[in-house]
Amino acid sequence: MTPTRIRLARPDQLTILWQDGLTTCHPLERLRKACPCASCREESGQTADPFRVLKPAELEPLRLVKIEPVGHYAYKILWSDGHDTGIYSLEYLRGLEKPELIPTT
Amino acid sequence: MSNASMPKIELPGIRNVLAVASGKGGVGKSTVAVNIAVALQMQGLRVGLLDADIYGPSIPLMLGVQGQVDQATTPLPLDRHGLKVMSIGFLVPPEKAVIWRGPMIHRALTQFLTQLDWGELDFLVIDLPPGTGDAQLTLTQTVPLSAAVVVTTPQEVSLIDARKGLEMFREVRVPVLGIIENMSYFMGDDGKKYEPFRSGGGARLARHCSVPYLGEIPIDARVAASGDEGTPLVARHPDSPAAQAFDRIAKVVRRELESAPAANPLPGLEMT
Ligand SMILES: Nc1ncnc2c1ncn2[C@@H]1O[C@H](COP(=O)(O)OP(=O)(O)O)[C@@H](O)[C@H]1O
Ligand SMILES: [Mg+2]
Ligand SMILES: [Zn+2]
Repeated sequence: MTPTRIRLARPDQLTILWQDGLTTCHPLERLRKACPCASCREESGQTADPFRVLKPAELEPLRLVKIEPVGHYAYKILWSDGHDTGIYSLEYLRGLEKPELIPTT
Repeated sequence: MSNASMPKIELPGIRNVLAVASGKGGVGKSTVAVNIAVALQMQGLRVGLLDADIYGPSIPLMLGVQGQVDQATTPLPLDRHGLKVMSIGFLVPPEKAVIWRGPMIHRALTQFLTQLDWGELDFLVIDLPPGTGDAQLTLTQTVPLSAAVVVTTPQEVSLIDARKGLEMFREVRVPVLGIIENMSYFMGDDGKKYEPFRSGGGARLARHCSVPYLGEIPIDARVAASGDEGTPLVARHPDSPAAQAFDRIAKVVRRELESAPAANPLPGLEMT
């Protein structure tokens, strides 16, 4: 399944329109937590470090700085917290949120 | 050596470029290239065929083009059997081409690709020179190949060289759609299937190298006769088992390349 449009319909939500006409809406916080990169996967398996000092960027609301195609199979996202190693495959993105039929505006 | 080390030729009007390769000569590479090209054309696609086998250009014979072509009166590429065709054999007699050196050949092929009017094509099929030398490597690096198929016969000597071909494409990052085993068997007059060589080598090689196996083409005198008479088998005897095998392979090629998203890149982020 391939996307036909991808946009920030709201500042805190990425909206993907897919080839079959269905749409998935991705709240940015959830999308960031679902980052598939190795270091994030490792972190999510561990208990949170209670003494970790937050970086200034992490104190602000999370923004999506950049999202760019990787070949024909994935997107890479640069987050406002500086993280950019997550490669989200199309299959993974499509499975993250429930696809809905939303009339396009 | 990496793919990025050499600039690629741009072919904006051509959607897919399919290389037909083999480790050895004489395994039926040109036969396969011609028949896949005509099969694609018969399926309704716009198809070109480039004979890049400078050392043994056999495409002119297989398509019934005799002697050389006068460029002043006949535009190239030629129109044959619904294909746009180019071969160095159209310009010089094959026995003259053999003395050409690598860089000259490469320049000629680059010119064929960039200076001739191919129009809009769904597929350009390229009959590569056999082997894995410098000429092949340069070609695979500068021509924007979408994919390749590798032709072998069931004999061990052919399989060993086919494997080198697979490795070459891996090195230059051209996807191999699969292995075709030519001259696998023949049907006797008694209706029995005969396998003159140890069978199953193509399938084994495919498994071993983790590439798909595209199937086998039987030995059939009509394959050779059609080639010699200038009308490819798939056009001349479309119902023969060998023609049907070519047709099936052409369909797999289409399925693999047309469904590949290469034609439409992923959309970028829209700012709203
Ligand atoms: N399946 C086949 N059955 C019978 N003859 C074949 C078959 N495939 C190829 N040939 C014949 O074998 C010879 C070599 O084939 P060709 O396509 O010219 O090989 P290559 O391009 O690999 O050198 C030609 O005379 C051709 O007609
Ligand atoms: Mg040949
Ligand atoms: Zn991550």
